[in-house]
Amino acid sequence: MAGVNDGPPAGSDATASGGGASSDAAASVALDGIGKTYRGGGEPVRALDDVGFSVTDGEFVCLVGPSGCGKTTLFRVVAGLTDATDGRVLLDGEPVTGPTTDMGVVFQAYHLFPWLTVAENVGFGLERTDRSTAERECRVDEMLELVGLTECRGAYPKSLSGGMKQRVAIARALAVDPDLLLMDEPFGAVDAQTREMLQRELLDVWASTGKTVLFVTHDVAEAVTLADRIVVMAADPGRVREVVDVDVDRPRERADPAFGRHVSRVRELIGAGR
Amino acid sequence: MATEVGTELDEEPAGVGLGLGLGDTRRLRRGALGAAAFLVVWHVVSLGSPAYVLPSPVAVAGAFANELAAGDMTTALGRSVRHWIPGTVVGTGLGVAAGVAFGWNRTLDDLTAPLVRTLRPVPPLALIGFAIAWFGINDAGAAFIIAVGAFWINFYAAYGAVEGVSEDLLDVGRTLGVRSDLDAVRSIVLPASMPGILTGVRTGLGRCWMLVVASEIFGVPGVGREIIRASNNLRVDRAIAYILVLSLMFLLVDVAFRAVQRRALSWRA
Repeated sequence: MAGVNDGPPAGSDATASGGGASSDAAASVALDGIGKTYRGGGEPVRALDDVGFSVTDGEFVCLVGPSGCGKTTLFRVVAGLTDATDGRVLLDGEPVTGPTTDMGVVFQAYHLFPWLTVAENVGFGLERTDRSTAERECRVDEMLELVGLTECRGAYPKSLSGGMKQRVAIARALAVDPDLLLMDEPFGAVDAQTREMLQRELLDVWASTGKTVLFVTHDVAEAVTLADRIVVMAADPGRVREVVDVDVDRPRERADPAFGRHVSRVRELIGAGR
Repeated sequence: MATEVGTELDEEPAGVGLGLGLGDTRRLRRGALGAAAFLVVWHVVSLGSPAYVLPSPVAVAGAFANELAAGDMTTALGRSVRHWIPGTVVGTGLGVAAGVAFGWNRTLDDLTAPLVRTLRPVPPLALIGFAIAWFGINDAGAAFIIAVGAFWINFYAAYGAVEGVSEDLLDVGRTLGVRSDLDAVRSIVLPASMPGILTGVRTGLGRCWMLVVASEIFGVPGVGREIIRASNNLRVDRAIAYILVLSLMFLLVDVAFRAVQRRALSWRA
């Protein structure tokens, strides 16, 4: 197993701006010519090639594409968890050199710390800031209220449903007040009903906090429900096929003809990228 | 090597078989029945055997009572505890620490792998010469033998547990501000590997009672020494009485540790 130091150097310079109180500041993200080549035993594999797009302050952008188009690799590169072979990610103009608390990261499989209670999970990142204990507790309460889990604060993750676990993961990511929320198929492992509920809740959280969101999904309807813009990727190698603006008023209804048109348009683009 | 450790860790120590603390009365009743049947068979077989081949359970109980009344048993146990406690504490502590460190740090692991593989198959008993040379025929020498046994069990349990810690949890930690190895080990690796580490500690606690006999083979007084002496004098009843002391100590420690383990891992329930 690799140690923390095996990764790219920690983005200590980038954490400075996230240290304040609940500023609810949003950030812009720019991907500049991102390429990723895996050199294993055999032929080198080009997973990503010249991926470039940007997300402006407070914008909600979804990333969709056929399986194997490198969505998750791109997600890890943006999060600073994987090094790109070429190009760079700029967060508010600063290159991302490693994981930073300026980004709140939410994974599909929740990855809650099973030995910590709900409140302790949410407070994990806060313990690594210079906030006082009282401030931290206050922030944890605030986050639990935001995701409607105040009642479960003392419970261990094992006793929670998938939807509740993902709410805890979102609260944990938001607790340190990042400028950007980065989500990798966060609702992919829950049932359809829970997913729609979580989508509505996420839009509420987005509206109330004004964070910038970059959201990876394979569910086109989900992308059209959530996003201001949808970045459609193509595979072999993973690249940007097209960026689609979603001009549908919120709250969006699936029955709306405009909704359906966007879904078909994105599906078409994904089909063409196979 | 790995498989051997694997089976050691998978074995449920005897305390579990008795269902203690679980309130499973049916299991307890059946256990009592099995034990009673064993005693009857033992007694019947012993009737046709000389006492130095197989003493009857009644003779063993008598020997146990005599030794206890004379104070010899408590004295011997007191001495053995003075080997068991420091040996177990030092061996467990060093074993867990080394297992976590080598399991976490690739460089340390690479550096020590050949040494570890050379030393691992050496049975603690084979180190008696070193125990005598380094510590003498005393409590420290006996504790050394026990510590060696505890070390390896805990080393491999901790090493494997740390190796199995999810990379994803470490990624999450990094995105939440974990920057140093120390922070990662303290706040993610140790708690995540605690179930595996505690299984190792528990196995080690039991193994150390077995090693009490080996550790006293070169003349340090204690329960193990009494077993060896009684056997040499063909006093099998006394030998069994002292073996029972080890079993009882093992059971006591195991039940107590299980309670600790359950509490420490309550998040898994």
